[in-house]
Amino acid sequence: MVNLELVRFLIENHQELTSVPLSGQLRDVFSLFLTDQRSQWGSKYAAMSIQEFIQDLSEVNELAPNSLTFQDESFVAMDDRRIEFIDVYALKILYDICRQDFSGSNQASKGSRGQQQPQQDPSLLDRFMTALDCDTKDEDSELLSRQMLLQRLEKTLAHKPASVQLGKERARMTVPQSEFIPVCNSEKHAHILSTSVNTSGNRIISIQWSRINKFENENNGFTHCLQTKIHYVPNLNTHTERSLGDCSYLDTCHKLNTCRYVHYLQYIPEVLKEKIAEETKLANRQINQQKRIPFYTLGNCCADISKSLLPPQWIRCDVRKFDFSCLGKFSAVIADPAWNIHMNLPYGTCNDIELLGLPLEKLQDEGILFLWVTGRAIDLGKESLEKWGYRVVNEISWVKTNQLGRTIVTGRTGHWLNHSKEHLLVGLKGNPQWLNKQIDSDIIVSITRETSRKPDELYGMIERLVGRHARKLEIFGRDHNKRPGWLTIGNQVTGTCIRELEVKKRYDNSIAS
Amino acid sequence: MFNESLSHGNDVTDRKNKHVSFKATNKFHNNDYSNNYIHSGSLPQKHVTNIENSVQGYPKLQKLFELKDRQIAQYITTPFGCKVDIDQMVPTLNHWIQNEKLTFDVVMIGCLTDNQFIYPLLTQLALDRLVSKPGFLFIWASAHKINELNRLMNNEGWAKKFRRSEELVFVPIDKNSPFYPGLDQDDHSLIEKMQWHCWMCITGTVRRSTDGHLIHCNVDTDLNIETQQTRDGAVPSHLYRVAENFSNSTRRLHIIPARTGIEKPVRLRPGWVIMSPDIILDNFAPKRYKSEIAKIGNCIPMNNQIESLRPKSPVQKV
Repeated sequence: MVNLELVRFLIENHQELTSVPLSGQLRDVFSLFLTDQRSQWGSKYAAMSIQEFIQDLSEVNELAPNSLTFQDESFVAMDDRRIEFIDVYALKILYDICRQDFSGSNQASKGSRGQQQPQQDPSLLDRFMTALDCDTKDEDSELLSRQMLLQRLEKTLAHKPASVQLGKERARMTVPQSEFIPVCNSEKHAHILSTSVNTSGNRIISIQWSRINKFENENNGFTHCLQTKIHYVPNLNTHTERSLGDCSYLDTCHKLNTCRYVHYLQYIPEVLKEKIAEETKLANRQINQQKRIPFYTLGNCCADISKSLLPPQWIRCDVRKFDFSCLGKFSAVIADPAWNIHMNLPYGTCNDIELLGLPLEKLQDEGILFLWVTGRAIDLGKESLEKWGYRVVNEISWVKTNQLGRTIVTGRTGHWLNHSKEHLLVGLKGNPQWLNKQIDSDIIVSITRETSRKPDELYGMIERLVGRHARKLEIFGRDHNKRPGWLTIGNQVTGTCIRELEVKKRYDNSIAS
Repeated sequence: MFNESLSHGNDVTDRKNKHVSFKATNKFHNNDYSNNYIHSGSLPQKHVTNIENSVQGYPKLQKLFELKDRQIAQYITTPFGCKVDIDQMVPTLNHWIQNEKLTFDVVMIGCLTDNQFIYPLLTQLALDRLVSKPGFLFIWASAHKINELNRLMNNEGWAKKFRRSEELVFVPIDKNSPFYPGLDQDDHSLIEKMQWHCWMCITGTVRRSTDGHLIHCNVDTDLNIETQQTRDGAVPSHLYRVAENFSNSTRRLHIIPARTGIEKPVRLRPGWVIMSPDIILDNFAPKRYKSEIAKIGNCIPMNNQIESLRPKSPVQKV
């Protein structure tokens, strides 16, 4: 019987066997073959001797004449000889013929390998199954193996591509940290503080240490919590009625001096604030040094480190009548239109048709557009994005929180249900290769500020996505939206300031005409 | 009593706390949770402080939730399960509509899994006959799926019958959550997906100012975050609670056109008929259901205490 395993081994490894450093040394080829056989479960060749090996080899050479060419060194012993050339085609023919003979006869029980890949071009499913199956050896029942297969499939699908993993790591190593202090969420701590802190004139005046110490003796860790986390202390006035509960507006309440609901003061020890500031500064110094290190440059501008960030730019204009073609192309665009919903807002709203009519398709050949939408406009926004040539690939939710880090649950903020979040549609145009995908999560948790002011966290997310130096535009922006690297346009920014000469030239021309 | 001077601080320190000063800073601090996620891997939603009790700090609302919970529990049917294969759902429901004359006021479709057959269900089913008027429809799916349904829901026929009123969001707490939409991350996704969406639709006419016997508006919010008590399964109880708190009707149906498997069991819920191929109990009988509904009535009666506590339109107050 032909040693089929040996034929397969020679076909698969012919190049390595005959080239340096092995150079076809039979002893070495033999030991490699043994290693190969031992790695396969239940091989009958795993314990063969070198004599048997040489016998099998010459048998192969007989059946497929001249498939193996030995170096002409007739004076040395057989096991010291070297294979000079392996004729793969001859061996393949031998292999195919022998295997066809095998199938049908029960000789084929030898190993699953030769059997499971009978076709030259296995189907996608087969290849997929082999990929999943590669290290399953000893499953007893079919049920078990099925479940394991499912688990393995889920694991494989959940595996992040290297671009995502590297992108995440680079972001962690090179994005400056912001100061972070966790918030204490213990009701007990809040209660103790509410009875032991004296406030006056909306400031914390003093803390009664006897109470704190007494509590610390009973519950270890309270003072440590005070020193490491943010706490909120009720700002009790003579007109406060604690039974009413918390004010819906808290620190943004306009009637602080008469409102009977409970308001709060943030309590952070000065030492903690200073310590965090110091630590963050140190960490950022380190990060600043690391910026030069990453070899992973995908999605970054080639002069990412040496280039200085473009200062803020802005144009005061009526967006509805503005000539967008003078601005050039952008990697990322934010639009926060005042959708015409039935509410009296302190600024002019423009109607849907005007918004849909904006020539936003001019701003990007490929890139991302972020569109803030509310209520009925969610739908309209999706429609508009499609009309401008974008696909909606993500939706970001801004979870709106108050001073205490709680979600907004009161105040009849929506028509049927209260609104605790706002939607941001993410439209993608073209298929840009320069994006750093899946670095951030699609939930932003951030405090509410002035009416319709959106969270600044978004800018960081966009900069990580498109790179710091990519051109970025904000439409319907206000003065607080101006920032380095961004061009802000809208009728509520004050004045105009353009730093990019080309844009300035085109803008001046369009104004003049 | 020993008071330490704080913000107007000449450095008087407590003898017991010699080395630590607790003087408060005047600077307001605000965390950037997105930035923190990049560096620590801790997701932003983990830092919301009222996850476990969303109405923390509002005793009136807490009381309202308690009262509503108690009242809803008084007017419920037996928890019913109806085990039906996905391709048999439409025939079964059509049978209910035509032969059993069953209608429901609240119909929820879908659950928190990506592999759902919502589109064929919506196009084949006589939904406007299954849902009474006024009635409420909740459709839960991944944000991506909801987007795909847009075209259907925007066509004139549909949009006229079912008005889209709110978009709800459910957020799992982290990536180990059974509700983490892991497999929904496709290659096009620019940002990690962490949410499930729901369209709430209204059919027929209801007005929030005058129909307080039918609906209680502004009790819940359009956002739910997974809590510690949330049990594993295909449907977190939040989804049911929003519907229950909003509509006062007692006839509620939940259709899950998806195989959810052993890992995500579909549990029963008092007051609901749940149709799913994987529901753990198959006990639905139209006759018994109708007799139970006849006993408790179609609508939870008004309760003065709840009426005084629940948020109302300002016009009604006058």
